[in-house]
Amino acid sequence: MASRGNPSSTINANMTPMIDVTFLLIVFFVVVSQIVDRDAVSMDLPSPDNAVASVAEMQNRVVVNIVPAGDGEVSHVVVGGHVVSMNALDELTTIVKTRLQGGATEVHLRADRASKYIFIHEVIEAIRKVGTTPRLQLVIDGKQE
Amino acid sequence: MGLNLTSMIDVVFLLLIYFMVATEFKTAEESSPMDLPAQHDGRSLMFDNEPLVILVESSGDGPHDLRIQLEGPWDDIESVSGLTQFLRANKINEFHVTGLFKDTHPVLVTPTEGARWEHALATYNAVALAQYTNITLAEPVTKPDVLQ
Repeated sequence: MASRGNPSSTINANMTPMIDVTFLLIVFFVVVSQIVDRDAVSMDLPSPDNAVASVAEMQNRVVVNIVPAGDGEVSHVVVGGHVVSMNALDELTTIVKTRLQGGATEVHLRADRASKYIFIHEVIEAIRKVGTTPRLQLVIDGKQE
Repeated sequence: MGLNLTSMIDVVFLLLIYFMVATEFKTAEESSPMDLPAQHDGRSLMFDNEPLVILVESSGDGPHDLRIQLEGPWDDIESVSGLTQFLRANKINEFHVTGLFKDTHPVLVTPTEGARWEHALATYNAVALAQYTNITLAEPVTKPDVLQ
């Protein structure tokens, strides 16, 4: 009661909601940073019946995205943020080689279900030119049980 | 004395977010491993014995619109599940010593140039499902006579 009449002593910031909101924001950004896969380009992945596959490893991988251009054609390849033309796949070999030397252990190949195999094979051959024996993972849609 | 619901609602929302995220992870992408032999200065792959060549051609845009043909004196294969059955039936194991192929027998999945990726992958998967371990996605071929 000693403080009655002194306005400055009545201002009490309630910290509880602020801490609640702060923790919610922390959780939100941690979760979002794990969900958003900056390596993956949006495309319609194949989903074979009774797939012999396991959940794709997210760490230590190089993701090679073969970007579709419609009607079975392919426009370009995206790997680690680099855009590689289908006419310059030697560049893809160099990038994959650098990433494998930098600690990556697997190469993940993402291609649209409708893309023609002739283009996919060109990319597989470019990866094969890396020289070592990289383990290739063919990425499929995991939604189907 | 009123019950303070704020903390409980906070915790409930946190749990809700946690389970939503966990569910999302369960349905993430999957991947099928493929051993990629290193290239040796343009030399083609060498196989210890004659590989089983499986030709694949797309006949439509649906996931099951494909045609499969085995190179050699084999009956027609109707579907990818039929291919798995054929390979399982002809595999040598302890129960089936008169089979034709070991599980390490080289299998060459050879799509045509115009084959869709999903059909090539479905065929590859059908061979893997029959538990063969030496599978290669080969160079595409122009549409062979057997698939005309």
